[in-house]
Order: sequence, then C-alpha cells, then structure tokens
Amino acid sequence: MNAPVDRNAPRDHEEQIFETGAGIPIEEVYGPEAIESFDATRDLGAPGEYPFTRGPYAGMYRSRIWTRRFQVGFGSPEETNERIKYLAANGANGFVITIDLPTSYGFDSDDPLADGEVGVTGVAISTLEDMEALYAGFSPTQLSYALSIRPPVSSVTLAMLACVARRLGVDFKDVIGTQQNDPFYQMSGGPLQTITQFFPLEGTLRLCIDNIDYISNNLPRLNWMVTNGYNLRETGVNAIQDGAFTLGHAFDIFRLARKRGLDINVFPRRASFFLSASIDFFEEIAKFRAMRRLYARTMREEFGSTNPECWRLRFSVQSAGNTLTTQQPRVNMVRAGVEAMAAVFGGAQSIHLCSYDEGHGLPTEESSRMALRTQQVIAYESGITKTVDPLAGSYYVESLTNRMEKEIGGKLTDIGERGGMVACIRDGWLESEINAARIKNQHDIDSSRRVLVGVNRFQVSPEEDPPIHIHKIRADEWGERRTAMLRRYRAERDHARWAEAMSRIDAAWRNGDNMVPVLMDALENKVTMGEAHEAMRKAQRWSFR
Amino acid sequence: MTRKRILLAKMGLDCHDTGIITVAAMLRDAGHEVIYIGLHNSAEQVVKVVVEEGVDAVGISFLSGQHMTQVRRLLERMRAEDIEVPVFCGGVIPSDDAAALQALGVSDVFTPGTLTGEVRKRIDRAMAGATA
Repeated sequence: MNAPVDRNAPRDHEEQIFETGAGIPIEEVYGPEAIESFDATRDLGAPGEYPFTRGPYAGMYRSRIWTRRFQVGFGSPEETNERIKYLAANGANGFVITIDLPTSYGFDSDDPLADGEVGVTGVAISTLEDMEALYAGFSPTQLSYALSIRPPVSSVTLAMLACVARRLGVDFKDVIGTQQNDPFYQMSGGPLQTITQFFPLEGTLRLCIDNIDYISNNLPRLNWMVTNGYNLRETGVNAIQDGAFTLGHAFDIFRLARKRGLDINVFPRRASFFLSASIDFFEEIAKFRAMRRLYARTMREEFGSTNPECWRLRFSVQSAGNTLTTQQPRVNMVRAGVEAMAAVFGGAQSIHLCSYDEGHGLPTEESSRMALRTQQVIAYESGITKTVDPLAGSYYVESLTNRMEKEIGGKLTDIGERGGMVACIRDGWLESEINAARIKNQHDIDSSRRVLVGVNRFQVSPEEDPPIHIHKIRADEWGERRTAMLRRYRAERDHARWAEAMSRIDAAWRNGDNMVPVLMDALENKVTMGEAHEAMRKAQRWSFR
Repeated sequence: MTRKRILLAKMGLDCHDTGIITVAAMLRDAGHEVIYIGLHNSAEQVVKVVVEEGVDAVGISFLSGQHMTQVRRLLERMRAEDIEVPVFCGGVIPSDDAAALQALGVSDVFTPGTLTGEVRKRIDRAMAGATA
C-alpha cells in the first residue's frame, strides 16, 4: 500500500506519485486479478465490430495509415493555397485549415473589429471566391480539408464548399473533408462569452442542426465534427472530464437533431470527434478505447440506433498544445512524439501534431515540417502500426480502460442529472469545472507535484537556450489588401440581385427553413460572410454593435 | 506587501483565457484585489475601467498574435488620458515582440511557464517602483 499523499506538501523531486493525470491510482504490477470479470468477446469484440474497443475499422492502419493532417492557414486564401500545394507535394494528405479570428466570428476582413487580426491566426475567408481560391488546383473530391470553424460561421463555409463543388461540376456524393460543427467548444473551449457575444445562442444551435441535416441528406461522405473535445481539453480539464464533456455534448447535439426529426440511423454515420492526445501515455490510450466503447453502447442501447455505422466513434487527434513549454522548445518534439504514439495505440483516424515552437508564436514552415516528419517516422519506421490494437489484453491497459469507462460514465450520469451538457454550459457549471482544473494544474506545477521538464526541473539559463526562428505576421499588410479587395467586390456586384438575396436570408430565417441552400444562393449573389451574418442577426432582431 | 487593485483583461478577438484566469487566481491568493473584465475589450473599454476603479496596475493577456496592435492602442489611450500605472502583458509573445513591448512602455512580459512565485515577485516589484 502507498502511504497517503499530502497534496499540498512540497515535493521531493525524486519522490514519484503513482497516479494518472486524472488521479487514478496506479499499482506496482497488474495481473489477471486486475481484469477478473474481463470478457474479450463482450468488452473488446473484433476491430471494426461492436463495441469497437479495438478500433472503428477492421484492418485499421494495415488497410490505411491515418490521415496525416497538416495545419495551414495565414493571410489570404491565395497565399494559403500556395502553401497547400507545396505541402501536398511533400506528403501531407489532409489539411486543417485555420481561419483568422475575424472570420471565426463571421466578420469580413474590412470590419472595424478585424483591425490587426486579418490573416494572423489563419486564413481570411469573406467571399465565395475566397473559398474557390483556397481550393484552386484541387477538387473537394480529392483533397480533405477540415476548416477550424463553428456555427454560425460553419453554415456559411459549408454553403461555400457546396457552391465550389457545384461550380466544379463534381457530384456532391463524392465530396470529402470534415465540416467542424461544434457550437460550444470551438472557440478554445473557454467561457460562454465567446459563444454569445456576437450571435444569439439559439440561432447558433439552429444552424448547427441545419448543417447536420444538410450534410446527411446531400454530402454523404463529408464528415461533420460533432464535438471539438480538443479545445475543451486544452483548457486544462483532465482525461475523465475530457471524455465525459466531449461525449455529453455529442449526445445533446444528437438529441437536438432527433428532435428536428432527423433519423438516428442516418445522421450520426459521418459524425466525428476531434480529441486531444495528452502526455499521460496509458491514460490517453485507455481514454480513447473507453470512449469508443461508451459511445457504441450509448448509441445502440440509449439512442436505439440499429445501424452499426452509427455506433462507431471516429476521431482525429491533435497533440496537446498545453503540454508544450516555451523553455527549451525543441524538447516539445519529444512530447509530440509520445502523444502521437498514444493516438496511434488509441486508434485515431487522423493526426495533427503541434509544432515545437507554439509557446513562442505561430508555427513556422520548418517547425510544421518537423511535426509531419515525426508522424512519418511512427507510420513508416516504427512498425507499431503493423498489427491492430497491439495493447489489447494487457492487464494494465484493459484495467485502465475499464476504469476510464466507469469514471467517464459516472460523470456522464452526473451531467444527465444536471439537465445535459448544453444546460451545464449555459448555467456556468462547465466554466467553474474548467477554472478549478486550471488553478489545480498551476499549483501542481508550482509545487513540482507535476514535473515539467525545463520549467520546474532541469532548467537552463535563457542564454543556454538556443534561439528558434519565429513566424512573422504581417497583419497590417494583409488587412489593407483584403480591405481593398472587398471594396472592389462590393462595388462591382449587381446590387439589386445582392439585395434580393439578403432579403431571402431574412425570410428563410423567419420561416425556419434550412439556411444552407439559402446561404448558397446568397453567396452566388455576392453576399459576403459578414453580410450574411448581419442578415441572420437582423432576422433574429438582435444586435451586438 | 500591501494589497493592490489590479485590472486584468483580454483585448481583441482572442479568447484563450487559461493564462489570465490562472494569473487572476495567483494574484488573489497573494492578497491583491483583482478585477477581471473578460474578453474582447477595446483600449477605450480598458481605460474606462482603469479610471473608474482607480487600479494600481493593468495586465493584458494575448495568445493569437494581436499584442503589438492592441498594446500600442492601449498605451496611446492611457497617455492621452494622462494615466500612469504599470501595464503587464502575458501570453504567447515572441521574444523580439516582448522587447518591443517593453520599449513601448510595458513594465513586464510574462511568457508561458513562468511560475507563480516569479509572477508575484515581478508584479510587486513593478508596482512598488511605480508608486515610489
């Protein structure tokens, strides 16, 4: 037995704490007694079969290596497109397109609120032609883009994608990619203010369901991300909270979709998750396996879905940005490598690794390439991909998977009793959980209870820490160019057709129509991102300005 | 140490608030009064609270690259109103920019991984300097 640990006592550096990041105790050794009631058929099944513990697909990486996503997006759509062409030639086969903050909130690049922020955190997208420029040289049936966006804005970008496909004359049924559609956690998981300041919450939820409805009826190969658990985890919550808040949110969205009349055997087919792989290796692996099992059980038993395609949880992973350090930044490559392996043992469909310089600024070309190369070493050199779910049957991994399932399940019950995740977000409960976790994390680092190499142990003086190359932003230049472009765009369009399209947005909103086709029509008539949002706000008789 | 009044805010469209929420807790634990006014503040909004609440220091947090634009505006606004309280910045700020911010008049810049004791010490030092 371990002696009880006084959490507040300063830590002796060589004293180890035998528990996972979420506080689950870890025994010295695990044997058969740790998984006494284990039943391989019931608890694991075969890969690609209920309850999907071993992976969502038979064959897994033997059939297809995960998508190695590359995060890209800065300045104008034309510049970003040039980068994508370069990266595609270098072996990246999927892209997370980051969007600048004005676009993330549905503002055009020339909005006064966009001052100093155009093209900084990602690409600016204000018009249909911007989206076309982003796809120049590629077809949305060939190259998978995942736009980092959320409703209400994702309804406009979805409409843009559909318009691009229509203009290229490709069949909607062949369009691939991921449409992010999490209304809550997308804006870095944080406070409710990010969601409610610029658009009414009810309207955001309506557009979220409009998107699901439109995708499941028209774009059967397009994934739609139901929960951005990554951004949520980045706030500092632990793996158990991560699992529960992520699944709880998804189940609430599914309930809303079902209330709209969507078919539980159809719309969840292409639902996907975006999850964090953090540094606590086995706990993360167990989290992924437990979440898959819990999801399968809930979809089959609680939602009563009879379509096995709707039982399987599929997810993309990003390594945990909040485990990176500013000090000795190159050490972050090792962290990303460990996290990537947890994602692979956990059965991820797509992986994106953080760049080592993210504690200093936005990633550079060189640091993003290192992140891609790390994945390629794991995929093509390490051999860990060559058999499916190699950790299955491990006394420790199965016992930890069971424990994670129990803990996450318990927290989900809690959330259910509080009225569901959406209610928990609205009444501030989630925010208080997040804030408590953040403060605990800081205490753990201050006291060295949690070791952070280079921060609270093994430091070097700043002089010994060799400098790294930093990404330069050109916000002023990008802002000016985009403002001039939009001025021309507005001057040259057919004003009467534009005005009619704007009034159709208004009418359709009030009528409760699905907004995606209406927005497609508006975009073709040169309504901009910002104008579409303004029209939707007006239709709700709502303004923030 | 004397109890001080410190205003914390996020400016621009950035919404990463882990750092600022944590710093708020650190400073409250150290006995200071912290006024945190949330996200998306303009220079005008920050200055208004500085005046109304008579704070001893201002801390602004950034993660998404808007620190130069926003801080320049804030300092101009403060100068226009003749306000002289120390301004701190925290967050993901490249070292060149940190130096540039200090040249503009920012008292100190805290980057990720700065431990609590260090943050408190440096803030106390700057506030003592400002009132001396």
